[in-house]
Amino acid sequence: MKPIPLLILLAALAEPFQAAHSAGIPARPEKLSFPPLKFDAPVPDQYRVTLASGPVAYLVPDRERPLVNITVYVRTGKYLEPAGKEGLAELTGWLMTHAGAGTNAAAQFEERIAFLGAQLDSAIGDTQGSVSLNLLSKDLDTGLGLLRDVLYAPRFQDDTVALRKQQTLQAMKQRNDDTSAIEDREADYLSQGETFWANRYLTSNSVESITPRDIRDFHFQWFWPSNFVIAVTGDFERNAMVSKLEKVFAGGPPLISADPLLQTGTPPPIPTNLTFAPPGVYLVHKPEVDQGRVSLLLPGIQRGNPDYYAVLIMNHILGGGGFTSHLMNRIRSDEGLAYSVYSRFQPGVYYPGTFTIGFQSKSRTVAYACAIALEETRRMSTQPVNAAELEVAQKGLIEGFPNFFNTREKIAEQFAMDEFTGRHAQDPQFWKNFRANLQAVTPQDVLRVAKKYLTSDRFVVLIVGNREDILRGDPTHPVDLKSLFGSFHEWPLRDPMTLQPLTPTN
Amino acid sequence: MKTSAIIALFPLLLTQPDFGPALSAQNVPVLEQILPNGMTLLMVERHDDPSVAGGWVAHVGSANESPGITGIAHLFEHMMFKGTTTIGTTDYKKDLEILAEQERVRDAMRSEESRMRAAWRRGSGGDWQKPENWTPRYRELQKKFQALVLEERKVIVKNEIWKLYQSHGGHGMNAFTMDDMTAYFVGVPANKLELWMWLESERIFHPVFREFYAERDVVFEERRMRYDSTPLGPSVEAFNSLFWQSLPYSWPTIGWPSDIASISKPQADAFHATYYSPQNITLILVGDFDPKQVSALAEKYFGRIPRAKNNPPDLVTTEMVQPAEKRMNAEVSANPQVDILWHTQPFGHKDSYALQILAQLLSTHTGRLYKGLVLGRGVATDVAASQNSQKWAGWFDISGEAAEGHTPEEVEQAIDAELSRLKREPVPPEELQKVKNNFAADQYRQLNSNLSILQNLIWNDGEGDWREINAAQPKLEAVTAGDVLRVANQYFTKENRAVALFTRKPENASTPSK
Repeated sequence: MKPIPLLILLAALAEPFQAAHSAGIPARPEKLSFPPLKFDAPVPDQYRVTLASGPVAYLVPDRERPLVNITVYVRTGKYLEPAGKEGLAELTGWLMTHAGAGTNAAAQFEERIAFLGAQLDSAIGDTQGSVSLNLLSKDLDTGLGLLRDVLYAPRFQDDTVALRKQQTLQAMKQRNDDTSAIEDREADYLSQGETFWANRYLTSNSVESITPRDIRDFHFQWFWPSNFVIAVTGDFERNAMVSKLEKVFAGGPPLISADPLLQTGTPPPIPTNLTFAPPGVYLVHKPEVDQGRVSLLLPGIQRGNPDYYAVLIMNHILGGGGFTSHLMNRIRSDEGLAYSVYSRFQPGVYYPGTFTIGFQSKSRTVAYACAIALEETRRMSTQPVNAAELEVAQKGLIEGFPNFFNTREKIAEQFAMDEFTGRHAQDPQFWKNFRANLQAVTPQDVLRVAKKYLTSDRFVVLIVGNREDILRGDPTHPVDLKSLFGSFHEWPLRDPMTLQPLTPTN
Repeated sequence: MKTSAIIALFPLLLTQPDFGPALSAQNVPVLEQILPNGMTLLMVERHDDPSVAGGWVAHVGSANESPGITGIAHLFEHMMFKGTTTIGTTDYKKDLEILAEQERVRDAMRSEESRMRAAWRRGSGGDWQKPENWTPRYRELQKKFQALVLEERKVIVKNEIWKLYQSHGGHGMNAFTMDDMTAYFVGVPANKLELWMWLESERIFHPVFREFYAERDVVFEERRMRYDSTPLGPSVEAFNSLFWQSLPYSWPTIGWPSDIASISKPQADAFHATYYSPQNITLILVGDFDPKQVSALAEKYFGRIPRAKNNPPDLVTTEMVQPAEKRMNAEVSANPQVDILWHTQPFGHKDSYALQILAQLLSTHTGRLYKGLVLGRGVATDVAASQNSQKWAGWFDISGEAAEGHTPEEVEQAIDAELSRLKREPVPPEELQKVKNNFAADQYRQLNSNLSILQNLIWNDGEGDWREINAAQPKLEAVTAGDVLRVANQYFTKENRAVALFTRKPENASTPSK
């Protein structure tokens, strides 16, 4: 280590005293005054169009750059996969744009997209699918033709299906390589139950059993215009775009080779049979890492819950508000125990979400950081927040509100998602009233929802890391992890290809 | 929320953004002004939404460090959020006294650490970073220091910069450190422009590095999270050091573990004095404002910071020419794969444009590597290629994951075969045009918000010249098939490359032990 000349140290420390504040610059920012800023939430109906061909579309023109962006949201999802065919939704979603469409075989189709400098992507997730096209506006008509081919005439050619299955199987081999992947998967098992549909993961058997026919059928079942919601932004004129879209969506998949008994059209409701694990610590042993990943889990809320605004503020103060939050201040800034620490209380759209506190700390300080997280959660549910921190949280969300809509893409996509999830129908004034609803939250509301939802005696605590070092703990801050949350369980790793638990541990 | 995105030289994990040309020229209207103290101000007026994205880039990164203080540029970035003489404390005088006392204790601790390191070198003491190996004297000093931390906490206002921005509607506040630059940015409502001027000028002018040693621990956790506890992190870090011989890109931006644990606050103070001078900083604002007003406010707030007597030292070290091919074989908890790096050319070099075109010819599902290795020979499941034009040097990267039943060596041979073809045969006009069309569209995609324009300018300015935001496009457009042929032959030689072959570590480590 090189010695630092004392002069530099003194100069650096002395500088603040020498430098007087320049004329007109106040000593504190509170003395600044700001002009008012009026921002009205955009109104969905200003952009909403019901197409004669079926879908609802949100059109937000933006003439700054010569690009057009179209996203088609589709009512489909993993929850519709037949048992034993796990992976069908994911494969179908990816293959729509990669395995040929219309008159083009796979390679030719991708070449056409690439020559336009366009992007055409598709995916199917848990409860929705999406197909999106982004291209220069001069190529719009060509691009829309290719989009229609993808939506209604994907070819799912055999060699591409086989290749994608092989790539998928190979990716599955890495399921236990990264502790974050293990943590994500086990947190879902613990907070939703092993039998919940969203936790029916791909296995080597399920992927191998999927045939091109299965994929064609799955696509045919759900890719109908009545299941679409569209978001469009960019360089276009509204009426011209509406007539172009009508041509894209009219009709539906041609009725070739589809099983007449297949259910098509509106998909069934999304199952909500969640089960939450009994409280306690669940430790997955991963000997080769020197950092434990921790998730503290509790049952969360669903959209539409009247406590939503108080919960949003409460979570912001506890751990959602980044560097102004209690958890960040204690675990990161005070103690230096973690780089990332947060809490998340996102309401579920179709079923209750999960409340999560997450952080990563070196093995030896995992228990100490857990004890602080527990203490801060308890403090939240026993002591009212002070007026100043409530104000910071409220202002942060209220003054930062325009940020929800600061690009045209965000406006179109937010409103299309509201349409898709039913919020536009159920609560059309949601964004208009958002700031007033937050402003109305009181310290008593925050305490009430904290008591109601932060039931810290029910915490399910998932830890992935080196068991011996984690249990040994930090001699300067001894914490008995085994008794901190009631019970303690060794939780097994799973075979990456079958997800069956590996050798049980003692 | 994360205070730092380290964008280090880890080729498998990161690709660099590319800024392509448009067939019809995109021109981002940037106004440039140099303040009397040497600070550069860039402004882009854009009235799309009522906000301003504000940032600044300091022309310093981990390439400006030296052994012993690797990681200091990044640690310093964290410290810039700890407040000023008036922000972050209720009693600055008291705060300063405690900070001075803390340093006295730390000096004693550093002497003790030196003794513990010496004992460890002789094999008579364990790793001094583990608490059970601390000497009694060190334990005592730790306690003493801890007491001073608690005392300081009484006068600290926690994370006050964040509170101020948040309660004024600030969003997306963050910072990052790379080899070549350190940048800070935030979005604010348009009416809060002056708050940005106040806070940013204040923290450049009067920073106070309180909570320094706890933040050092935070950075260590960041290192564990990003690298040490990931399947490829340790090997990729070693491969990077193998590739760079003399240039200070050879150490990771996050720093070596030994250095992170030892960097001192006095070193950070010295670093600030050397590199955070007005002549080494560019301010960038994009959004809903009147440039005249921005210019006046910048002169008022940032103009008060005195120009440093000396300019920061130039980096004089250049990379040695490789005398021979370098190879590394690593067993990792990941699928078998290969990564190949070649020394190429830095930002703004005339060959860097042909190399970017070449990288794109190899990339994507219609590129040569996917067609040749994944669809054709079937030896790989995925492939990637990039030219990375950094400030002090450039490098080209090709990587690929071996398909089941194939080896990384086969992937390497197949990559060589594709490169040989590029060295022999000129690229057909249609294929070249396809690649250029993608650059054309991409450049518009990268400019869709105030923040994305800001980040483009930060990156270009940090690597060497903000004007490249507009100037790169015609240069890419002008690349010919002959240029591609020439650079392929010039740079893709055996002596100029390093090859890493990764194979999967045997299973025993991932089954639970009894």
